[in-house]
Amino acid sequence: MTAAIRTTGLGRRFASRQVLTGVELDVRQGEIFGLLGPDGAGKTTLMQLLAAILDPSEGQAEVLGFDTVRQAAEVNARVGYMSQEFTLYDRLSVLENLQFAARIRDVAPDGFRRRSRELLAMAGLQDVLDRPAGKLSGGMRKKLSLCANLIHAPPLLLLDELSLGVDPVSRRDLWRLLRRYRDDGSTVVVSTPYMDEAEYCDRLAFLDQGWVLAVDSPAQLRARVQGRIYDVRTAMSAAVQAILRDVPEVLNLQWLADRLRIQLHAGADLPPAILARLRGLATLASAAPGLEEAFIALSTAQAPAAPPPVTPAVTETQGGEVRAERLSVRFGDFTAVDRVSVSVSPGEVIGWLGPNGAGKTTLIRVFCGLLMPSDGEAFVAGLSVTAQAQALRGRIGYMSQRFSLYPDLTVAENLRFFAGAYGLGGMRRRQAIEWASGMTALTGMETRRVSELSAAVRQRLALACSILHGPAVLFLDEPTSGVDPLNRQRFWQLIQTLASGGMTVFVTTHYLEEASYCHRLGLMHQGRLVALGTLEQLRQALRLPADAGMEAVFLGHLERTQRELAS
Amino acid sequence: MNPKRIAAVATKEAKEVLRDPITVGVALIMPLVMLLLFGYAITLDVDDIPMGVLDQDRTPTSRQLSEAFTASETFRLERELSDPQAMERALQHGEIRLALVIPPGFERALARHEPSPVQLLVDGIYSATATLVGGHALAITGSFGHAAPSSALHLETRVWYNPSLSSVHTVVPGLYAVILMAFPPLLTALALVREKESGTIAQIYASPLSSVEFLAGKLMPYAIIAFVQMAMVIGVGFLWFGVPFRGSVAFLLAISLLYVLCTLGIGLLVSAVTHTQLVALLAVLIVTLMPSLLFSGMLFPIFTMPYVVQLYTLAFPGRYFVDISRGVVLKGVGLEVLWPSIAIVAVYTLLVFALAVWRLKKKVA
Repeated sequence: MTAAIRTTGLGRRFASRQVLTGVELDVRQGEIFGLLGPDGAGKTTLMQLLAAILDPSEGQAEVLGFDTVRQAAEVNARVGYMSQEFTLYDRLSVLENLQFAARIRDVAPDGFRRRSRELLAMAGLQDVLDRPAGKLSGGMRKKLSLCANLIHAPPLLLLDELSLGVDPVSRRDLWRLLRRYRDDGSTVVVSTPYMDEAEYCDRLAFLDQGWVLAVDSPAQLRARVQGRIYDVRTAMSAAVQAILRDVPEVLNLQWLADRLRIQLHAGADLPPAILARLRGLATLASAAPGLEEAFIALSTAQAPAAPPPVTPAVTETQGGEVRAERLSVRFGDFTAVDRVSVSVSPGEVIGWLGPNGAGKTTLIRVFCGLLMPSDGEAFVAGLSVTAQAQALRGRIGYMSQRFSLYPDLTVAENLRFFAGAYGLGGMRRRQAIEWASGMTALTGMETRRVSELSAAVRQRLALACSILHGPAVLFLDEPTSGVDPLNRQRFWQLIQTLASGGMTVFVTTHYLEEASYCHRLGLMHQGRLVALGTLEQLRQALRLPADAGMEAVFLGHLERTQRELAS
Repeated sequence: MNPKRIAAVATKEAKEVLRDPITVGVALIMPLVMLLLFGYAITLDVDDIPMGVLDQDRTPTSRQLSEAFTASETFRLERELSDPQAMERALQHGEIRLALVIPPGFERALARHEPSPVQLLVDGIYSATATLVGGHALAITGSFGHAAPSSALHLETRVWYNPSLSSVHTVVPGLYAVILMAFPPLLTALALVREKESGTIAQIYASPLSSVEFLAGKLMPYAIIAFVQMAMVIGVGFLWFGVPFRGSVAFLLAISLLYVLCTLGIGLLVSAVTHTQLVALLAVLIVTLMPSLLFSGMLFPIFTMPYVVQLYTLAFPGRYFVDISRGVVLKGVGLEVLWPSIAIVAVYTLLVFALAVWRLKKKVA
C-alpha cells in the first residue's frame, strides 16, 4: 500500500518558538488518521504544513507523492483542507458557498450537480440550500464546510479540529460522512483535542509540545497502560487522597464525582504498606484504561503540584444554593430557556450539557443577574435574580471560556485588578490574592506576564481571578477548552477542592468525559431541561449498561426528547 | 490565469457586497458628503473680510479712502474705531481681521503731494488669508494714491483658466483626486483582510486559485463601485458646483478609471501585508488620504514646497491625477500635454499590483 503522506524530520519554528520538531509520519491511503493533542501541541501547524500553505523550517513532507514546498500548487489542487476557523462566507447561501468552492477548484458543472446533490443529501442540508451560511447552526456550518471540501472529490482530506464548537449530535453525523468517504478509498487526517473522538480513528498520533509521542491504533495505545489503572471507591475521599497523594508509584490521581482513580507508573505496584493503610477505607478495582491515561503516561508535561488541602476562603463561601422555578427567557418569539426548574445544593458540582444553542449560556446569564427572565424566578445564594441582581454579583464568580485576562499585565497585576474590581482593598485584598493564588498553584509566578503563560496556567489564573472574593457560587463556562489532559485533571481536582469547601460549582463543558467529575448532570435541549441526575441515574433511565459512555447517554436522552417532541 | 476561477471569485465577492447594503450605501454616499463638505469649506477666496477703520483725520479724503475699502466686496466695515486701544481689542478678539489707520493730517499731506502714510494692520493668524488680504488692501491704497489720471502706465491684470479666481473651480477637480484616493482603497483593503480575520482565506490558500486570479477576481466588483463613485463625483462637481468642463468628458472618465484601478490596487496591497481590519484601515488612511490632501497640490501648490518635499510628493499618484483632472477640466488639454502624468499613473498601477501579487504568497506565515 502506498503512503498518502510521508514526512521526514518535519519541523517548524515561528521566530524563536519551535512549535513542531522532527515529525516522522506515514499515513496510509484509505485510513482515518487522527492527530490528538492539547492546544499548542502543534496540530494546526502540522495540518498547514501538510496542506502546503506553510513551509517547514526543517525536514520535508510528501503529500500524495508531491513535495509540499516545491510542488505546493499540485498539493493545493488535490487536497481538501478545512481549517479550524469557519471557512464559509456568511452572506452567501449554502448552495452559493458550495458553488464557489467548486468553481475555484475547476469542478465541471455537470460533475458539480451530481456531487453536490449527493453531498447535500448526505449532510442533511438539501432543505436549506438558500439559507445564508451565517444563519446556520454550528453543526450545519461544519457539515457545509466539509461538503465544500469534498466537492472536488479530493483523495486526501485534512480536517483541523473538525468538531470544534459542534455538539455531539452533529459530531456523530460528521463522522458518519467521514467513514463513508474513507470507505470509498480516500484518506482523512483529522486533528482533535477530544479523547472520545480520537477513538474513532483507525490510527492516531499523540502530539505534545511539538513532538509526536506515539503513533498507533487507539486499542494498541490503550493497551500500553493496561493494568496500571485502578478505581478507588471510598466514603472518605479526603483521607484516601491524603494517603495516596505522595506515593511515588502513583503517576496520577483523579478525583471523580463518585470515586478516585489512580494511574501507576510503568511496572510499578502499590506498596503493601499503602495497601494496608487503605484496607477498610477503600476498595480497589482494576479498571479499563482510556486514551487519556495512555496520553498522560506518554506525556512529557510536568505535572503541577497537587492542590493544597482546602483552606478557608477570606469571605464566606457557604450557603450557595441555586434554585430556579419555571424559569423562562424569551427573545421575541424565540424561547431560549423554557420553564427550567432546578435546585442545586451548596457544595455540589453540577455539569450542564447540551448542543449549541440549547440555552446553557442564557441560563447562566440569568443566574449571574445579567439577564432578566421573562417568566419564573431564580434564587442564587439566597438572592433573587430579579430583585437583587446587584447584590447577587458580589456572591458569585464567573469564568468564561475565553479566560478574560489582560495579556499584557503580569499575574499579580491581573489578580490585583480583579480584586479591586470586586471592591477588595488593603489587607483583605492581600489575603484574598494570597489565598486564591495558593489554591491555584500560582505562587511564584506573580511577575510573569499573562501572554507568556501556557494555556493551563492561564486557566488557573482565570479561576483564581474569579474566586478572589470568595463567591458562594462559581459559574464556569467551558473552563477546560484547549488544555492538555493532565492539566485538565488537575483543574478538576481544584474544582473538587473548592466544592468540598462548600462552594457550589455550575459548569458547562464540551468534553463529555468530564461528566464523570460532576455530582449531577443537567441536559439541555431547545431551551428545556430534558434530564437531570447523576450519571448513573441518567444511564438507568435509558436502561443503558453501566459502562456506557457519556456520549451514548447524552445522545440517548436527546433522541428520546426528540421522539417525545415529535409525537 | 484561468478566467473561470477569476469569475468565480468576482461573482462571490459581488454577491457578498450586494448583500451588505450598508457598505454599498456608505461607499456611495461618503464621497458625495466629502465633495460637498470640502467643496464648500475649502475656499481660498477672500471676501467679506470684517475690517475696522480708525480715522484720525476725519476729512472728506480720509472718508473716501475708507469707502474705497468698504465699497469692494472683499471688505466689510465691521466698525468705526474711536482710539488705538479699541482697535487693538477688536483685533485681539477677532472681530476684525484688518484695521485701517488714517493718521491726522492725511488730507493735508496728500494735497501737498507729501508722503502720506496710512497704516494697515492685518491679523496674521491665517497666513494665507492674511497675504491675500494684504495684497488686496495694497491694491486699493495704491490705486487711491495714483488716482491722478495722468499716470502713464496702466497695468491691467488678467487671470487665465480661472478668470473668476473662484477657488471652487480649482478645489473641486482636485477633490476628484482626493476622493477617489480616499474611498476605493478602503473597499479593497477591508475586503481581503476580512477574509484573513474570519479565516476564509485558508480555503483560498489551500485551493488551486493563484494569487493573481484571486486578486483580479476580488478587484472587479470594487472597480465597478469605484467607477460609480467616480462618475457621481464628477457629475456633482459639474452640475452642482458649476465647474466648467473644457476638455473631453470621455477622456477624463477613461483616465479616472486607470486612476481608480491604481487606488484600488493600493488597497489590495495594504490588505496583502496587514492582518487585521483595524490596521488595514489606519494604514490606508495614512498611505492614501493624508498625502493626497497635503501633497497632491490639491490645496497647497507643489511648486511652493521645499525641494525635498517636492520630491516626496512624486511618490503619491494623487498629485499626477490632480494635474490631469485640472488640466482636462480647467485647461481643456488632453493626451498631448498630460501623457507624462498618465504614463506615471499607469506604471504606478502596474507596480502596485505586481507588489500585491508578490506579497500575497498563499502561505499562512
